[in-house]
Amino acid sequence: MKAIMSAAAVVGVIASLLLLGMIFGVVKADTVHLVEGYMPMQMIFELAIFVAGFTGLSYMLNSMGMAIPRFWQGIGFVAFILFYLKSRVYPPIPFSVRAMYGTVTMVAVFMWMSSNEEDWKKFRQPILNVMDAATPKLKLIRTLFLIAIPVALWGFSYQSFVPQGAGADVDEPIELRTVHPAPPASTKVHGKTFVLQTSQNPYRVNPEGKYDQEYSNKLIVEQAMGRLMQANANPWDEKAEGYLKNVREGGEIFFQNCHFCHGDNLNGRGLHAFAFNPIPANFTDPGTIAQLQETFIFWRVSKGGLGLPREGFPWASVMPPWEQHLTTDEIWKVVLFEYWHTGYYPRTWD
Amino acid sequence: MKQAGLTSKAVLILAAAFAVTMVSGSAGVSIFAQEGGSGLPAGFKKGELAPLPSAEMIEAGKRVYFTKCVWCHGVDGAGDGPAADRLWPRPRNFNQGTFKIRHTASGELPLFDAKKPVNGQNDLFETVTHGLPGSAMPSWEGILTDEQRQQVLSFVTSQLVKDRKFDDKATETQTVLNWDELMKTQVKYSPESIEKGKQLFLDKKCIECHGAEGRGDGNAFNLKDDWGFSIQPADQRKCWNFRGSRQDPYNVKNIFRTFSTGVNGTPMPSFADNTTVEERWHIANFVQSLCERDAKGNPLEIDPLTDKPKVKFVILSGTVEGEIPDDPENELWQKRERRIVLLAGQITHKPRNFVNRIDDVWVKSLYSQKEKQIAFLFQWDDRTKSVAKEAGTKIPWQPTEVNVETHGVKEQAPKTGEEGSIAANQNKFPVYNDAFAFQFPVKWQELPPPEKPRYLWGDEKYPVDIVKWEADGSLRAFAGTGWDKDFEDRDDYTERLKLAKAEWKDGRWSLIIKRPLKADYDEDVKFEVGKYIPTVFFAWDGHNGDAGRKMAVSAFYYLVLQPPIPKETYIYPTLIAVGIVILEGWILTRRANRKKGKV
Repeated sequence: MKAIMSAAAVVGVIASLLLLGMIFGVVKADTVHLVEGYMPMQMIFELAIFVAGFTGLSYMLNSMGMAIPRFWQGIGFVAFILFYLKSRVYPPIPFSVRAMYGTVTMVAVFMWMSSNEEDWKKFRQPILNVMDAATPKLKLIRTLFLIAIPVALWGFSYQSFVPQGAGADVDEPIELRTVHPAPPASTKVHGKTFVLQTSQNPYRVNPEGKYDQEYSNKLIVEQAMGRLMQANANPWDEKAEGYLKNVREGGEIFFQNCHFCHGDNLNGRGLHAFAFNPIPANFTDPGTIAQLQETFIFWRVSKGGLGLPREGFPWASVMPPWEQHLTTDEIWKVVLFEYWHTGYYPRTWD
Repeated sequence: MKQAGLTSKAVLILAAAFAVTMVSGSAGVSIFAQEGGSGLPAGFKKGELAPLPSAEMIEAGKRVYFTKCVWCHGVDGAGDGPAADRLWPRPRNFNQGTFKIRHTASGELPLFDAKKPVNGQNDLFETVTHGLPGSAMPSWEGILTDEQRQQVLSFVTSQLVKDRKFDDKATETQTVLNWDELMKTQVKYSPESIEKGKQLFLDKKCIECHGAEGRGDGNAFNLKDDWGFSIQPADQRKCWNFRGSRQDPYNVKNIFRTFSTGVNGTPMPSFADNTTVEERWHIANFVQSLCERDAKGNPLEIDPLTDKPKVKFVILSGTVEGEIPDDPENELWQKRERRIVLLAGQITHKPRNFVNRIDDVWVKSLYSQKEKQIAFLFQWDDRTKSVAKEAGTKIPWQPTEVNVETHGVKEQAPKTGEEGSIAANQNKFPVYNDAFAFQFPVKWQELPPPEKPRYLWGDEKYPVDIVKWEADGSLRAFAGTGWDKDFEDRDDYTERLKLAKAEWKDGRWSLIIKRPLKADYDEDVKFEVGKYIPTVFFAWDGHNGDAGRKMAVSAFYYLVLQPPIPKETYIYPTLIAVGIVILEGWILTRRANRKKGKV
């Protein structure tokens, strides 16, 4: 038990030092990289490490006779969570969302503190001590609290009484957009109707010229850091035929049209992306094209922002209806390229 | 005999000197580097050529290159990939071994050591890691591993650089900026240093290209790079767009480096030979002082995801008691907080604008209940003042016309070859009017949130109110009902608009437009205090061939007219605080009583 706890304590100390170091610039801010697209998972994982670390630390201090009072453990934990959410996560979480997480944490800590009678007594004892103010030091603390609470509440209520827009700073309203709205059953592009459930990418073909997802899946880029092409599958090889040649042609179209927003690495960080809100889709994120069927992408590319349903905010999207600029064949090739370059398999309908 | 000996010696020495000059000349090293006490320009030290990368590194790098780089830089590294014709600046041609961001003397190859991914000792590694801000070259940090970046550079330097050899001691030298020594002599960023730098900026003729206020609006407008492609001098007000400055744009070291080494392949020379180290620090401090700052003079906050200033999508309009001044230098305007609005090319509908030369605009707003007016001050950098000649006759379309493609405003075709590319033809377009416009939904009060009229001139369901100014002096109001629908003229509203100021000075437009808070007709926008009113901004650069839908456009922003703070805002919280004090007293008394009771 002790061995596990001391290991956890070490982890806790290292993790805390690393976190503080990154936030205050002692070590590089991205020493522990926030992996794009996996942020919620990573946050939960990191917090789990911290909880384990703190448990170990608390256990070790306890066994060394330097136990931290339950009261301060609770306060400290809430403060830590708030600090973590504010400083660790980028892009920053809006205040309203942080407040929600903070409240949940507070409730959880309260339940932890009041889980049994003894703990609860330990927890409230310091509060009662301050209220009774038996010593001069406690009296001073009590006086400070008596002043601080009305002042703080004055501030909070002032904030809520200030008319909308009069504050020193005004946040933009939070508007939640459906990123992948429900697709239609079929879409008509350049006079031809494509049924989303049954259409296939005519360029995803094996050497015999048949639609073959298994064949093409073997030739896409590797799902490792860098997402590089397979050593023997270079679309720029002069001898490249069939699927790989189609990928190259799709890539040419992508880099003449799409990379301005979606970026050279298809991560939504193109040349023009900085000006937009919402930002362009990041295809390397496992939550975008990896979750969708190829025909869905074909529909989105062909119809662009204009073709979005209301919940997708068609008015704010600068995504062109690509049928205005590209032929059907070119759109299919671009879709093919996007899956190749990100190393994802298109989802199938079954 | 003695005389003859001397002569022959002199001839020998002369010949030797000539040979040295020839060799160094062919290596592209400045002849001046051979002169002076140590034989090096001030602030430089002698460096070593790094060993060539291994064959495995090169082979691995080929894989990286053909996955990521080939699309812009081309199969042979000639900067002619499929994307190249639509980019400006054009992607770099590697064949000549000409690289921009270096720690080495002008004309020399950059530092590259395939075994040392160390900042300050590996120029090419840093360029790939951070990209070149303000150009299409992105940062590859976090996308490619350190090793992959070194691999691809091994491939580029050994296979695609064809005219020079990175390890050829006979032709190549390395003369490296000596940071260790230079940092000891660094001149602190201070008003005195900036003042000296300002004078040097004139003396060294920086203003000829970069303009009197550094906005890149000097008279060297039609510059070309080594390959004959159009290129423009840096706008020093936007240090986040400086190449080689990513994530640290306000650091004077970046400017000191560029100023000392020059930018190979561009008209930006090295000033290492005709400035002292101290002078270079003064100039670097001055140029840094030009970069945009906040009201307190602190650097702007840079968004690490975009490497541009952080954007708040809200424009706050402040209330004034009396009249809104027409002069941007007036105290009321000066005190007003400015907000940055970022712009991108309009790339949704034809003719798409792949290269927008206006990428941000600063906005301030004031409103006056007494005057019943709201005013906007727009300021944006534009290197050229563009007015279509003989207003009204030179432009073949009506002001209401949107689909000006029929008049020859075309988007860049994807495959035109070098000759036809944007980079070759920039500045050869017909010159139209510089222009600026902004739109509000007419019936914004009735929009079910978050619904809005489309960003590009509204739609049929929700028409928008567009106010457009053009550099020929016109200011007009239109109704927009869709991206491809011609504007409807609104003469009644145009009469109520007032152009308080429109001035182009030192590479910047300043524009003040006043319009009524409330108008008479249903199709006019009525501004209300304390509400979020969606708005979109548009800018045209006449020298970029911008007209009609070819322009720069922003995302949706919100205009909020800030209400004055009423008295109740102070009274209620005070009442609450007093209540809390009473509550505190009650709790403590109760507890004290209960304890007494127990005792």
